[in-house]
Amino acid sequence: MSNLTAPNYTGQPADRRALGFLSTTALRSIGNARFLWAVPVVVIVIAAVVLPAFRSPISVNSLLATLAPIVIIAIGQAIVVMYGGIDLSVGAVAGLGTVVLALGPVIPGGAAGALVFSVIAGLVVGILNGLGVLAGINPLLMTFAMAGVVQGTALLLQGIPESAAPMDLIDVVGTSIGPVPLLAILAVVLLVAAWFWLSQSRTGRVVQAAGFDARIAGRLGFPIRRTTIMVYGLSGALSALGGLAIVARTYTADALVGASSVIDSIATVLVAGIVITGGVGSLLSILPAAVIIAVVGQIITLTGTDAYYQTIFKGVLLVAAMGIYQLAGRRMRMPWRLSRPAIDRPALAESTSTETPAAKDGDR
Amino acid sequence: MSTDTSTPTATSSTAHLTAFSLSATIRRVPVQLWVAYGLTLVCLLVLGFSTDNGFSPDRLLRILSNAVPLGVVAIAQTIVIINRGLDLSVGPIMNTAGILTALLSATPGATLATTVPIVLLVGAAIGLVNGLMLAFTKIPPLLGTLATATVIQGIYSLITRGQPKGSVPAELRELADGRIAGSPFSGSLLIWIVLLVVVGLVLSRSVAGRRFQAVGANPRASWLSGVPVRSHTITAYVASGMLAAIAGILLIAYSGAPSLTAADSYALNSVVAAVIGGAALAGGTGSMVGTFAGVAVLAFLTTVLNSFNISSPVQLIINGAVLIAMLFVNSRIAGKRNR
Repeated sequence: MSNLTAPNYTGQPADRRALGFLSTTALRSIGNARFLWAVPVVVIVIAAVVLPAFRSPISVNSLLATLAPIVIIAIGQAIVVMYGGIDLSVGAVAGLGTVVLALGPVIPGGAAGALVFSVIAGLVVGILNGLGVLAGINPLLMTFAMAGVVQGTALLLQGIPESAAPMDLIDVVGTSIGPVPLLAILAVVLLVAAWFWLSQSRTGRVVQAAGFDARIAGRLGFPIRRTTIMVYGLSGALSALGGLAIVARTYTADALVGASSVIDSIATVLVAGIVITGGVGSLLSILPAAVIIAVVGQIITLTGTDAYYQTIFKGVLLVAAMGIYQLAGRRMRMPWRLSRPAIDRPALAESTSTETPAAKDGDR
Repeated sequence: MSTDTSTPTATSSTAHLTAFSLSATIRRVPVQLWVAYGLTLVCLLVLGFSTDNGFSPDRLLRILSNAVPLGVVAIAQTIVIINRGLDLSVGPIMNTAGILTALLSATPGATLATTVPIVLLVGAAIGLVNGLMLAFTKIPPLLGTLATATVIQGIYSLITRGQPKGSVPAELRELADGRIAGSPFSGSLLIWIVLLVVVGLVLSRSVAGRRFQAVGANPRASWLSGVPVRSHTITAYVASGMLAAIAGILLIAYSGAPSLTAADSYALNSVVAAVIGGAALAGGTGSMVGTFAGVAVLAFLTTVLNSFNISSPVQLIINGAVLIAMLFVNSRIAGKRNR
């Protein structure tokens, strides 16, 4: 047993002991993302030094308020991408979520009912996406087409008279604790929960395995059908929730509110190092990736630079992220494929001397 | 590969042979094409019976003439889809072409003969960027072209400051609105038909075209048999960029004013047209005959919906639903064939 906690064994003995309930995969992926975490830290430090306005509590508050919807929608996108799919309907669903929320005065249940309905609407759209993908339709086109249907529906609902963004509800949801908005805390909690679910739970492992190779996962008897619907449903519900987070910032319910969400979420997921073909990556990396996008947006706003530069930046970031991960590919590709065994078999550990792991280190 | 034998030219050239070979030819027409033309026929009948004098050729040609920008960009999309790709940057390229044409036309001494080549070159250059990026990296085409689309949108918004300037020359307007020598054909319709025939013949009849389809159907097998894969990918995107630029010029010829957003919906609609026409995203299949049907379906459908005064959100829903239904049908057909 002493082998399990032997020093210099994983390179992170303290972590292993403290976070012993986490799988090696999860710990590996955290370690792999350390360079990614450094980028937003450097950007924030430089911005804080150069721009005094960046340091003000108001700026911090608005930065975090911008961050919340990006993170929430990116979680859903990341789960789908981990599953080997993609969801282009996130923006439209976010718009639908806000429009349904604004139906509070019209439907029974009032604002609280509308809140529930808007998440359910997102869930339903996601489940429809999942059913389409199960029927053999390419996820890209399925969600692309669904985005059209959803946006049309949202535009129709928007035309209903007497619908209005529920200000009292927004005031409750949009409160801040100090400079930290409640929604930003919710976003981080959701992120950690989703990461824990995906990397530790049985279902989450099925998502990863099926994302890595759907055919083999199917032959192993994993519940592919159920998982497909769950993954897309989650993405839909999270997108609707992300739409609510946008409303809390902009105070307007609009079918087109999520126009930039598609590129935002995909860029975030790719910068986070989640491989687009599925199965590889860590949801936790979404946070630094989303911070990069939000901070650059904030800097562009504060310096009075043309907002169109932000659009260009996102496009370049998308390509650059894919390019960099591809160049660095060999090591990032499979965080769980260990160069050393995760757990030495006792017999093996006794027969081999302590130099063996060191020698393997040398090989790397 | 049986797609090629389905072209009208093939059918007519075999007509003089025995009835047996004719029925063999018919049997080799892919199911997707039957579905596409069946759908076209249904839309045509609804369109015809919805109003008096609905079947007048002049009206039908006018409807098709208005759909020419979509038709040209659908050719571009089909070429890319045959190559296992997807080009989401066609919309922004069309916008760029429109803005640039209007801008250049406003400069003194500019004629269409100087403007159009520059615009086409810009379109081809954007396509080249796409092609190089997608040929030499493993970036998925969807994301790569989405990124290019975003960057182009940012750049032209920045340059025009949200207010595209310039003028659309009268000759260009005449291309879309006028009729050639008393015939019901407009100039832009003729351009579309010529492009369809030329691209269709090159794809199905020439060695280069067959090779292009082979690369799309199985890049690895093509590479092993000595066909360069990368250059074909680059060719596909350059052709797509150039055709999208032509579509952009034809769009402002029709609309009469450059716009930052006018062509945004063309990325989705061109994919819809190609998919209705039987192009599979897995690559290798897709034909100009099918794409023509796809464009015709969309054009007729839009006209029918407009004539019933159906609002644009509902049209958006119907377009999306039609795409989902077609994708479903095509995936069933493909599944049956693989079994």
